[in-house]
Amino acid sequence: MSEKITPVRKSILANIRIQRFTPSEHKSAYFDNFKVKVETGMTVLEALRLIKNTQDSSLTFRAFCRSKICGSCAVRVNGKPVLACSTQLMPILEDFKKDSVSIKPLKNMPVLRDLVVDIEPVIEKLSKMHPYLMENRERIPETLEQESIMSKQEHSRFDYITDCILCGSCYSACSAVDADPSYAGPLTLGKAYRFSADVRDSFQGERMQAAVDQGLWSCAQCRKCINVCPKDTRPAVSIQRMRKMSIDDGIHDTAGSRRAKAYTGDVAKYGQVNKPMLPVIVNGPKGWAAIEAADNYLKKHGIEPTRQVCTLGGQSSTQKIYDKVKELEAKGENKT
Amino acid sequence: MLTYDILIVGSGGAGLYAALESRMEEDLQVGVLTKVYPTRSHTGAAQGGVNAALANLDPTDTWQDHWFDTVKGSDYLADQDAAEIMTREAPMVVREMEHWGCPFSRTDEGKIAQRPFGGASKPRACFSADKVGHVMLHTLYEQGIRHGVNFLNEWQVLSLMHDGRRCQGVTAINTQTGRVHTIQAKSVILATGGHGRIYWTRTSNALGNTGDGTAIAYRAGLPIKDMEFIQFHPTGLRRTGILVSEGARGEGGYLLNGLGERFMSRYAPEKMELGPRDLVSRSCETEVREGRAGPEGEVFLDLTHLGRERILERLPQIRELCIEFEGVDPIEEPIPIKPTAHYSMGGIHTDLNGQTSIEGIYAAGEAGCVSVHGANRLGGNSLLDILIFGRRAGKHALEYARNNSFTPVDTGQEEADTQMIASMMEGDSGASIADIRRAMGNLMAEKVGVYRNGKDLESAVSELADLQEQFKTVRIQDKTKAFNTELVSALELKNMLDLAEVVAVGARERKESRGAHTREDHPERDDKNWLAHTMTTLGDDGRPKLDFSPVTITEFEPKARTY
Repeated sequence: MSEKITPVRKSILANIRIQRFTPSEHKSAYFDNFKVKVETGMTVLEALRLIKNTQDSSLTFRAFCRSKICGSCAVRVNGKPVLACSTQLMPILEDFKKDSVSIKPLKNMPVLRDLVVDIEPVIEKLSKMHPYLMENRERIPETLEQESIMSKQEHSRFDYITDCILCGSCYSACSAVDADPSYAGPLTLGKAYRFSADVRDSFQGERMQAAVDQGLWSCAQCRKCINVCPKDTRPAVSIQRMRKMSIDDGIHDTAGSRRAKAYTGDVAKYGQVNKPMLPVIVNGPKGWAAIEAADNYLKKHGIEPTRQVCTLGGQSSTQKIYDKVKELEAKGENKT
Repeated sequence: MLTYDILIVGSGGAGLYAALESRMEEDLQVGVLTKVYPTRSHTGAAQGGVNAALANLDPTDTWQDHWFDTVKGSDYLADQDAAEIMTREAPMVVREMEHWGCPFSRTDEGKIAQRPFGGASKPRACFSADKVGHVMLHTLYEQGIRHGVNFLNEWQVLSLMHDGRRCQGVTAINTQTGRVHTIQAKSVILATGGHGRIYWTRTSNALGNTGDGTAIAYRAGLPIKDMEFIQFHPTGLRRTGILVSEGARGEGGYLLNGLGERFMSRYAPEKMELGPRDLVSRSCETEVREGRAGPEGEVFLDLTHLGRERILERLPQIRELCIEFEGVDPIEEPIPIKPTAHYSMGGIHTDLNGQTSIEGIYAAGEAGCVSVHGANRLGGNSLLDILIFGRRAGKHALEYARNNSFTPVDTGQEEADTQMIASMMEGDSGASIADIRRAMGNLMAEKVGVYRNGKDLESAVSELADLQEQFKTVRIQDKTKAFNTELVSALELKNMLDLAEVVAVGARERKESRGAHTREDHPERDDKNWLAHTMTTLGDDGRPKLDFSPVTITEFEPKARTY
């Protein structure tokens, strides 16, 4: 009948390589190696805590809830931003067929000590984004006798973003922040979209301007943020939706919105983008300087520049794609 | 010297609600001091719901039903006037959260959705999928940004200061720089959460739930109340204590001992795995005590018989949690579990406005004890408690700060605290923080855990005194000032050792079984002698001094608690 339970529990002696840095003591970061007996079930966070308790009490990292909801413990494991508390070590060691794993702090933020980064700059960018609901009195009752009525469909427009725990993984992975540190980053724009998509909010205009000012159009849509988000909040998707919202709101005078319109317009017309003219369309008359520079460069290498753009064949197929997009848009922006 | 009209210590739901309430008119300086960043606070871990008799699902629900359920759930130890306020005001605070943007799940009519919950006679837990605490915490933080609340992030509070009658402020260390500061405040609200970490690894709580506010209040001479009542949840993961929710048993999961026996047939042959939380916790513990545990003192929650499809369809989040935190796939093998300390019913004694025995000092949330949870908290009432009493404390502190001036304070405490830290940093050898902490957790789980008896409690009290002696020789190996997390751990351990002693002494003195407190040597509830709150203050000899105060009974005469 009943059978004694004997759980399978493996263990490997692993080498944990951890980046160390204390600004007041070291000129630059270096690595320490720690030998740890990794067992089935051990998370990266447990290994860090074991090292701190038994080998080096000065090892510095953040951790709080241990259950993937507070976002304190984000670090890079073998280069990828993860939450230390919800990342099992054994599968990583087995997948990489190595007995070694590296742990580094998140990128794109200054290191305060070892694995702890300064998230204050991110919080400042977030604060400038008006990341709160401003009551829309057409939807929110004046008194507390009643809640506001919001349909399931209205709720689902932004519900997926409310999973965000502000852990900073997306910010660490973001190629646009890497290129331009003043860019707001995925999580702050995600939060901006969360409120602008909420029917109970009345602050869309000012928040949209804040988003545009802080680089709404700087995102390269590389989608790394989507790959690393531990809560599947898909910031790049929110950024796309926020851009569309900004054009629908009539904010046409940004480089990004002009580029987006040129792309869609050109493809509809020619089946391809009229690349030689993009600088002028996006940046106005000063774009000509860029075009002239490009012309000269091409001529120097014996290539004759052209400003002609031909119409590609298969326009009817293109039209079908446009029709399908319009149809989907009309259906709304539910989580898919 | 830093000054705030109102300083709130702790940035969970109670602290942020208090901050927002007192900053709404933007006329006073309000600061929130937190050892983490506000959105990291443990309120975010609450998954299930917040109770309010909105009657959106069951039109017959009333706040009076909620009131009775709360009092009954508390095993009649809750003060009924406090429970009345909480349940009567519940619909209003939940709607206020909603008006601030909190994304509750919706009914088909677009109203706030509600679900049934343990111990509730009607479906009244308002929820947002499985993340209601998280979305409430973020909503309060967002509105705090909007209204210009100041945040002191990653500061650890050290001492609470008063002149015997009125509040002076606190001392605290800025973790990022390592400097100790005096913060003068007309009013201080302690909202630092619970102290489940006194059970160290045997708890579902966050690493920082070390009862800092309760401990500094106790050391400053304030009474703390009903500390022996700690709620245990039967199914925490073996390694980390993280909760596997009741949904797994609801779907038909079996509890097995190390021999593979479905042991609930011994304790609750009819209800089996679906018996009440405290009974199931005690059953698991009995199996372990009688030598029928798995290889590491665990029992098992087995879902394998449900089959792959059913698990993937009905319990995907529970499966993900087991894989991520325990490395076990419940489709393949049974989940190893242990009962885990979950909630601290006791805390700093306050009146209905959250005020303590000192003017201007308030406490709210899990750190405080009004009391609304008595001997056992109902699911969905902890999130409600933080909203109601965070709000009331904020409101009252605002009036107090408007009508009073600062109480003079010198830098004596700051100097004493700086000296205390310096002496811990001197020298290289001494007791280890990790060793003392582990010993404390193990002894609390064994002797002051699910089951208690006079003999074990007596030995727990003396072992804790030994650990406190050892703590005096603790030396911090890390000598760096900035971001010294070893120092923070030592400060937290000091707080936990003080509170563990109070819990053990309270449990030793309370010679009855009530709610979460189970005495093997006194198995019955004893209303004649023990329908009373335990009030503990720090005695002149440095040990806890116990006193008792009556329970307020206004409407419901104590009856046997059966479900």
